[in-house]
Amino acid sequence: MIGYSNYFYRVTILARWLLLILLTVPVLAGVVGVVLPAFGYFPAIGANAVSMDVFARLFALDDAAEMIALSLTTGAASTLIACLCAFSLLAVFYRTRVLSWLQGLFSPFLVLPHAAASISLLFLLSPSGFFARLFTFDSDAIPSSSQSYFLFDELGLGIVLALIVKEVPFILLMALSVMSQPLIKEKINGYFNVGVSLGYSSISVFFKLILPVLYPQIRLPLLAVLVFAVSNVEIPLILGPNNPSTLAVAVLHWFNHIDLSMRLMASAAAVVQVGVAAVAIGLVILIENILAWLGERSWLSGKRTFGDDGLKLLSLFVVAGYAVLVAGTLFNLVLFSVAQHWPFPQVLPSGLTVLHWQSVLEAALEPIINTLILGGMVSLTALVLVLLALENEVLGSFNRAPDKAHSYQSNAGALLNIALFLPLLVPGVAFLYGLVWFQQIALKNAVWFHVYIAHIVYVMPYVFLSLAIAYRKLDSRYAMVAQSLGKSPIRVFLSIKLPLLAGPIMVAFALGLAISFSQYLPTLLATGGAISTVTTEAVAAASGSSMRLSAAYVIIQAVLPLVGFLLAWWLPGVLFTPRKVQINNKTTSPQPFRGS
Amino acid sequence: MALHLKQLNIFKDGSLMLSLDATVNKGEVLSVMGPSGSGKSTLLQAIAGHLATPFSMTGKILIDNQSIDDKPPHLRGIGIMFQDALLFEHMTVEQNIIFAMPKTKRYSVSKKRESVSNMLEAVGLEGMQNRAVTTLSGGQQARISLLRSLAAEPRAVLLDEPFSKLDTALRDQIRTWTLEQLRCRGIPALLVTHDSDDAVAAGGQTFELLPC
Amino acid sequence: MRLHAWGGSAQVNSYLQWVAQQVESKYGIRLQHVKLADTSDAVSRVLAEKAAGNNSNGSVDLIWINGENFAAMKKHGLLVQNWVNDIDNFALTNPEDNPAMITDFGEPTEGMEAPWGKASMVFYYRKTHLEKLNLTVPKNIHELMQFAQQAPGRFTYPVPTDYLGISFVKYVAIALNQAQSELFYAPVTPSALSQITPALWQYLDQLHPNLWQKGEYFVRQASKLQRMVGSGELSLAFSFTAAEIPSAVERFDLPLDIRTYSMSDGSLANVHFIGLTFNSANKAEAKAVVNFLLSPEAQAKKQRVQVWGDDTVLAMSKLSQAEQALFSTTQSHPSALDKTQSTLLFAEPHTSWTDALRQAWEERYGARY
Repeated sequence: MIGYSNYFYRVTILARWLLLILLTVPVLAGVVGVVLPAFGYFPAIGANAVSMDVFARLFALDDAAEMIALSLTTGAASTLIACLCAFSLLAVFYRTRVLSWLQGLFSPFLVLPHAAASISLLFLLSPSGFFARLFTFDSDAIPSSSQSYFLFDELGLGIVLALIVKEVPFILLMALSVMSQPLIKEKINGYFNVGVSLGYSSISVFFKLILPVLYPQIRLPLLAVLVFAVSNVEIPLILGPNNPSTLAVAVLHWFNHIDLSMRLMASAAAVVQVGVAAVAIGLVILIENILAWLGERSWLSGKRTFGDDGLKLLSLFVVAGYAVLVAGTLFNLVLFSVAQHWPFPQVLPSGLTVLHWQSVLEAALEPIINTLILGGMVSLTALVLVLLALENEVLGSFNRAPDKAHSYQSNAGALLNIALFLPLLVPGVAFLYGLVWFQQIALKNAVWFHVYIAHIVYVMPYVFLSLAIAYRKLDSRYAMVAQSLGKSPIRVFLSIKLPLLAGPIMVAFALGLAISFSQYLPTLLATGGAISTVTTEAVAAASGSSMRLSAAYVIIQAVLPLVGFLLAWWLPGVLFTPRKVQINNKTTSPQPFRGS
Repeated sequence: MALHLKQLNIFKDGSLMLSLDATVNKGEVLSVMGPSGSGKSTLLQAIAGHLATPFSMTGKILIDNQSIDDKPPHLRGIGIMFQDALLFEHMTVEQNIIFAMPKTKRYSVSKKRESVSNMLEAVGLEGMQNRAVTTLSGGQQARISLLRSLAAEPRAVLLDEPFSKLDTALRDQIRTWTLEQLRCRGIPALLVTHDSDDAVAAGGQTFELLPC
Repeated sequence: MRLHAWGGSAQVNSYLQWVAQQVESKYGIRLQHVKLADTSDAVSRVLAEKAAGNNSNGSVDLIWINGENFAAMKKHGLLVQNWVNDIDNFALTNPEDNPAMITDFGEPTEGMEAPWGKASMVFYYRKTHLEKLNLTVPKNIHELMQFAQQAPGRFTYPVPTDYLGISFVKYVAIALNQAQSELFYAPVTPSALSQITPALWQYLDQLHPNLWQKGEYFVRQASKLQRMVGSGELSLAFSFTAAEIPSAVERFDLPLDIRTYSMSDGSLANVHFIGLTFNSANKAEAKAVVNFLLSPEAQAKKQRVQVWGDDTVLAMSKLSQAEQALFSTTQSHPSALDKTQSTLLFAEPHTSWTDALRQAWEERYGARY
């Protein structure tokens, strides 16, 4: 038993608890503020009786079942299709340089907030949109008035499309961050060599040997994607049908309803929304099991290919699709933001103007500063807490008696996983309203504090999920070597682990910024509008009548996080690659290495 | 300097995995041999202080008759080397070695630089101070890795199959050189390996572990 | 000092920026325009504050409302009563002889809100579309049906939860029931509702399959109508702010072939207001801001088409010659409403009709969240 304690270990314990508290307390408080009204208790409007009446009223609605079904099918279908696309891209390109090029191609849709991505798709796909303009050759034509099948359609195809467009880059990013870890990378290379030498095609090696290693590592983020897809509001609001809409949109609608008694219905629906997310997870677990069973059979079949041609075709289609979307979106947004009149079906505006940018920049300077300050504070906090909590996992395993250590690790781990998923599982509209209620009781003037907490709740899980993989996979022998050289745990943490993880850390920070930048409801509800951010301004502009101002705001929304990610990719290389020339005048010849 | 392992028992989930009682004197090498899964690496982790769940140990580990059982890994003064060089890629060659040197008033930074330069020269790597470690060959990395371990002035060194990744020609050369360095400095070492050539070259006692 | 107001219009936003500069330099009041996507967000917030017992330090000071948001705030006691009489310039609206200034959708304001501007419903269309499709401009409710049938998919209206959406339903209801129009100006009763709905449903049943997206999808916000006319997906739409049409053309959001007109069978008209919340910590400053909003200077600027084009609530008879001159404009725009033509106005029905009509609509056509 090697028990020892030190300050640093205590700090990491503190960080772990702080992280748990920050993730759970706001959400649980908010949930209480939702569950009570769901069961009919909402004293502010004189409702005091606790009963199931509200649920009964909800399920008595004509379209309740349809709304639930629409949420479930769009969310599950988009996640499954996005997985298929992402995995087939990985399978086809994982041994090539194309992957890093693809990351560049996908980055616009990775960083674009969901609302902004939906607006961009609307710009491209509508009957007067860019694609329609490209394929209309009669210069006097007016846009078609026939029903479109990808926008506002009953099956929610538009929602599915937008979710896929957003999800594929995210899944790819998660998978690549796992695959780039040294141990996993080595394993993958080894499996590839073995698999190919046994005559399996590289695509079948990916699905039969590599995916089983990769999948468990990205399973949690995937489920987070699924839950988000089932319960998000922005995309179905902009692209979805409204006869009926998804359940989450109905929740939002009822919460904002002028008739305040609809809050009860909203709360009950929010509780049901949690159930819908749970069912979706159950469904995906079922599909996982079926696929795992089929997968085991495919090992035994001995077949050396895995639908290779189909998957290659699919990947090419996905890549081409993204190329067209990205090019079309860029072209369209940039031109719209500077367009004078732009009559259909011309592909270029009749003239250019800076008028729209003038209006936007006049109004957006303060929101941009607010956005940066808030995002910076929130991401930095999240990063520090997450890093310390992850280090606590490592130190904790040496600091306990073996019998206790095991249960401590698994209990704490399970608790943390639940805590991480809480904010992603409870629809924001629901617990945020409950949260505002409590924030009004305590510290009602601390607006920055409230919005900071509301953002942390959303940023922390993503920072954790994105960093945990890299941190847990870091070769632990580096730390052992450093300790054997006489360096204390805090020194090892600061001088060895952080620099070695500089890449993932910067990416996690940029991801935190991007998540914070994109928050609409948390910002609006927690501040009561007193602090405006780029996204609150952008959504207000999206509800306005000017497509040109919307375009300018979408560009700002894309550029801010994009700059963050670019810095994240570029900085670690600059900061943590030893420079060849030294301060000492004893300089070495910078000749290339010739072998020893 | 001597390393004593007094009635060391290592348990996995409470059941005995291996027992060892040995003394390694100044400049000697104890070779521990056994197939994979026999607990070789766990033994090293126990001595270095990295034993974690589900493993536990009883017995005593002493250096110069002082128990180090209650000391955290970084205060044990035990160097450890793996089959990979594990040089810190964000540091240059020189930074790797200086990072390892004890923090005492004895050395100024320029003294440290000078000493690195001497060490490199002694192993035929002169002028390599400011190279990025990723640009070095496997043999060079192995040598820098040992220099780094020695720079920390360890009281004992643990070697975890340090030569198994090197190709045959290089392996003999690096092995001879490494053992030579340890002997010269009178550092007791524990070498874990499954290659009997290593044990023969080390020339000390050999201890065979049986598979569980 | 915070003024919570819908932030979806560039003109309104820049007018409020001008107001903020003015009150800062005139009275040293720092006024912040909190831009709302949906005014009910702010109503919810004040209610949440009341529920939490925050009675003296609310985050909303002034709020731009009318109709149902006002009714909801009045019902829950979220507004200060009788503060409007403390405002000097309120007298310029001539409230004694002009009941529209103290009635909000048939609901007495009880001094809880000050009138700010007024508006009536206008229609606008794409001239080139109508020429290409060989259509004439629909000038009344029946011609509108013919238009929709001849050019299916080129017209729509927002969901009735949207202000402009329910206004369209009211317009259709009133225009089709002119013989019994007195029913609309008393609180709604089941029998009154059943008298007016047959004609309304018959009309809408026939209209919906000819709307944009075959009436399967209704836009959620009125501003989407202007966007879609701008992009050419719709050829005809309507608005409550006639002045926003030419200024949208000037800002390139609507094309040059836009023309604006009023329906000959009548246009719905109403007044919009500024309310003061019960828990504002800055009531004196808030009143000073409202007094400025009602000054001839601010009202005249607001009425200018280049600025916002919102009609003034001041009675010209109460103003001096010099003040009246501030309001005279000669400028006209090809896309602007021809104000020399007199228009028949329908007053807003009693506020209870809004809920009743919406509920009836939702029961018949689905709730359309």
